[in-house]
Amino acid sequence: MAQLGFYINNDYCTGCKACVVACKDKNDNEVGVNFRRVYEHSEGDYVERDHAVIQNIQTFFTSISCNHCENPKCVEGCPTGAMYKREEDGVVLVDHDKCVGCKYCVWNCPYGAPQYNEVLGKMTKCDFCIDLISAGENPACVGSCPMRAIEYGPIEELRAKYGNVSDIKGLPNSSITKPNLVITAHRNAK
Amino acid sequence: MHEWSLLIFTLCMQAAIGGTVMLLIFYKKLSKLDPEQQFHVMKLPLVVIAGLSLIGLAASFTHLGSPENALNTIRHLGSSWMSREILVTGMFIAVACGAAGLAFIQKKVNVWLLAAGAVIGLFDIYCMGAIYYNTLVSGWNSINTYTSFYGTAFVLGPILIVSLLVPFLKAKNEELAQAFVKNAFYIALGGIAIQLIGVAIFGITAPEVNQIAGVNVMDALEGYQTTVAIRWMIEIIGIFFIGYLSIAMNKKIPIYFAYGALAVLIFAEGMSRYVFYVMGA
Ligand code: SF4
Ligand code: SF4
Ligand code: SF4
Repeated sequence: MAQLGFYINNDYCTGCKACVVACKDKNDNEVGVNFRRVYEHSEGDYVERDHAVIQNIQTFFTSISCNHCENPKCVEGCPTGAMYKREEDGVVLVDHDKCVGCKYCVWNCPYGAPQYNEVLGKMTKCDFCIDLISAGENPACVGSCPMRAIEYGPIEELRAKYGNVSDIKGLPNSSITKPNLVITAHRNAK
Repeated sequence: MHEWSLLIFTLCMQAAIGGTVMLLIFYKKLSKLDPEQQFHVMKLPLVVIAGLSLIGLAASFTHLGSPENALNTIRHLGSSWMSREILVTGMFIAVACGAAGLAFIQKKVNVWLLAAGAVIGLFDIYCMGAIYYNTLVSGWNSINTYTSFYGTAFVLGPILIVSLLVPFLKAKNEELAQAFVKNAFYIALGGIAIQLIGVAIFGITAPEVNQIAGVNVMDALEGYQTTVAIRWMIEIIGIFFIGYLSIAMNKKIPIYFAYGALAVLIFAEGMSRYVFYVMGA
């Protein structure tokens, strides 16, 4: 199987966070542990013109989980080899038998993907719902989005269909880890 | 800030490493004494260095969520600076404890172990710096990380060693004791100079934010200016203590001065390290 990736239609996203909730539910995560997160980006202000106060605020939402990067800095820095990128589809996973719970991967990921589980004493993160995928279903976030703003699939197919953008306002530079992510940018995010 | 384990770990290790380097520097002069006397004055510093490195080790374990997997941490030497640092730190601790243990068995200090400890230790500080330097945390990927770590070693190491050596040495060889305090004072000044260079570089390089929801270091440290200012004031007071001691020791200045300076400097370096970890929190 080819490298998997996510497509995010940033232009459609309303910031409802259904994806976050579906992901939390599927993975039974505690408060504060979010494999998928929605970041709000706001700019601008109210401006006064003559006698009116005019709203001039630009806001958009970006839903991000793990991008199962081409150059995963999380894997590079992990002292135990617990964080690894699997051969068949490039999904980045944590092997809990090896993880020592040092949290170093948190400092090495540009996207906030590694989420520490205090109870387990281990790092956890988005595993692309590989169990659902192999049962022929969609990842939880993809299935839950009311705007159909998240898709997934072989990254080459996603790129052929939607282009190559993975840098938008508010996201770290994609050259750091080469994320397997394609985005249709919101007009305020370009 | 919730990295107390790492704060204690880095301070203890750097003090122990700086102390080992100082003992090596002083070793030659101490060999003027007969071997038994030499062992007698050096045994306390050797034990304290070994003890500090073990406290550091214990603190580093409390940082881990699954310490039972600790042996796995040296499995990724090929690309992980953390793996490399853990291996080198382990080697330093082994040498430090070995040097102390052997000294007690043989009733004399093995200079080769001391030298090995100093070399491994200095490389270890580089590895510690590289762990932070290679992350994406705004402010850590600066030369300041290395200079701050080496600076701590060269401030705490010398003061630690004089405050442990001099009380014993003073009765035996006043002149030597005086010379050591002077040496320690100059080396500690050097340590502060190294840190100041890092601070200057830190100030002129524009910080980057490479993490989503990451905070620019300048914003992260807003509100800590007072802490930083107080830290430098305390540090200067500590150094002043040692400087005074180095010129006025024969005038019956109580040796508590050295202990006072040590306590003050540990506090100042602790504050500096606290601010360092605020960047990553
Ligand atoms: S998004 Fe972060 S955790 Fe996921 S593969 Fe990339 S660097 Fe690793
Ligand atoms: S927390 Fe686990 S996965 Fe993350 S760097 Fe440490 S050992 Fe690797
Ligand atoms: S569920 Fe869809 S619309 Fe709602 S926040 Fe997630 S990506 Fe955006």
